[in-house]
Amino acid sequence: MSMSAEHDDALDDEVLRQVVSELRRPVRLDPSLDRRALDQIRAEATLRMAPRPDRRWRAWLAGAAVAAGVGLAVVLPDQQRPAGAPASPVTVEQGEASSDARSVRLRLAAPASSRVAVVGDFNDWDPAATPLRPVGDGGTWIVELRLKPGRYHYTFLIDGRRWARDPSEPPAAESDFGAPVSVLTVS
Amino acid sequence: MSFARWLALSALLALPATARGQDARLTERLDAATASQVQQAVDSAKGAGLPSEPLVQKALEGATLGASDDRIVAAVQSLHGQLRRARQALGGDASDAELTAAAGALRAGLEPSALRRLQSLRPDQPLVVPIAVLTDLVAEGVPPAEATRSVLDLARDGRPDDEFVALRRQAQRRGAGGEPVGRPALRPAADPPVDQ
Amino acid sequence: MSDSDAALVARTLGGDLTAYAALMTRYRDKFGRYAFHMLGNREDAQEALQDSFVRAFRSLASCRQPERFGAWLFRIVVNRCRTVRRRLQRSRRFDADLPDDVAAGGERPDAFEWRDEIGQALEQLRPHYREAFLLRYVEGLEYAEMAEMTGAKEPALRMRVKRASDQLRELLRDVHVR
Repeated sequence: MSMSAEHDDALDDEVLRQVVSELRRPVRLDPSLDRRALDQIRAEATLRMAPRPDRRWRAWLAGAAVAAGVGLAVVLPDQQRPAGAPASPVTVEQGEASSDARSVRLRLAAPASSRVAVVGDFNDWDPAATPLRPVGDGGTWIVELRLKPGRYHYTFLIDGRRWARDPSEPPAAESDFGAPVSVLTVS
Repeated sequence: MSFARWLALSALLALPATARGQDARLTERLDAATASQVQQAVDSAKGAGLPSEPLVQKALEGATLGASDDRIVAAVQSLHGQLRRARQALGGDASDAELTAAAGALRAGLEPSALRRLQSLRPDQPLVVPIAVLTDLVAEGVPPAEATRSVLDLARDGRPDDEFVALRRQAQRRGAGGEPVGRPALRPAADPPVDQ
Repeated sequence: MSDSDAALVARTLGGDLTAYAALMTRYRDKFGRYAFHMLGNREDAQEALQDSFVRAFRSLASCRQPERFGAWLFRIVVNRCRTVRRRLQRSRRFDADLPDDVAAGGERPDAFEWRDEIGQALEQLRPHYREAFLLRYVEGLEYAEMAEMTGAKEPALRMRVKRASDQLRELLRDVHVR
């Protein structure tokens, strides 16, 4: 961007000039806020003379919080499913975070298929971009993605010709094109 | 063609589409007229301070799913309107992710007032997950009023994101049996979830 | 003849709280206007100002140029407005109440609505854009000053001001009828 003269962005728009003129009018706040500020200042001066809480106790608390956080991050995907939840053919599991992208695993049960791909907001809906790989011999297909927090519409393409929604994620309430689409939320 | 014109033309064509102001993904995947219309919506969104990437993704979704050009343009313009209304509901503070989620909620038939209420109950934390869950509940067949009530209750009690997600899992289980693969995704909110 | 900022700061550091009270009186309404437009209502603006005054007092010793106390305090106010805004989103409403200096003549008949519309339009802007617009056109800062105040680079600030202007123009174009 060019560093032109300071005032080359002078308002030449009548509407904006009127807006600015209006916004420049004085605004008077409640003067008692000064007194409240002074009260707070005086109170803090008193507090500074009071004994501080035990530093060791605070350090322990901080350590415990960090440990809890680390514990959550490395929990194995399968252990995250709550007891009693149905074993779904497709699961989205959130693994460790780095930067702010999360690992997400997509799984689809598609026996008797020769190839499965996923298309969605995370790969510009490109059928060639993200193939799933078969695992075991029961017709399960898997892929791992790294996704930043957000909401993603997606669907599966089976054998290059059949669209399949993810049955364990909600359907897109906003399906615009008549094909089955799911939505996943990464938090 | 004169050398000068040839030079100018080559220079122009040598520029990546982005330098000419167009998203290359659109020009690669859509025909020129459609790409141009979508680009207009994208530029308008950018000018208005709205997220534009969801519009590009919507167009690419349509292209991949084999939709007609008219439907693609209509879907993009519709989403543009929803994003604008999302911002009217949530205000200039809302992040792109929140606006996108809110647009989806409005599309699903939820009220702007519900979103504003949610925001007022949960001012300190991102709203993406609660809004997403609200939308998903309706998509799973929960009546909007009931979905709204449940989500607002959690927000009022200051519950964390996980509990909103749990709420959604419950609804999924109630409506489980799910749909056979291949059927259209949209389920009207009026249908009650089938208990199994 | 009132004391200079530098003198009042020196006296405050010497333990004279009445000197600090004088500084607050001096700057309350000036920065209050900015806070009011940034946050959209009087209560939040007052909270931001009160907060700023307390913080400024706490770190007064680190104000290296007491003759530029105003600018130094303003920087604290701008920062407080960012935080207060995030915290008090729930009470995001805007007061279109008349400022205290309503002129007898020259007030348009729909003044209340006009101010309301401006408030709503400002509300629609991203906070960074709103902040840049207010600092540049309402508070009249130069870009160099704005850069110092916000920590953003000048090209970025210019872009924000331009975007804010474009958006405001777009939002208010149909409203403004004279």
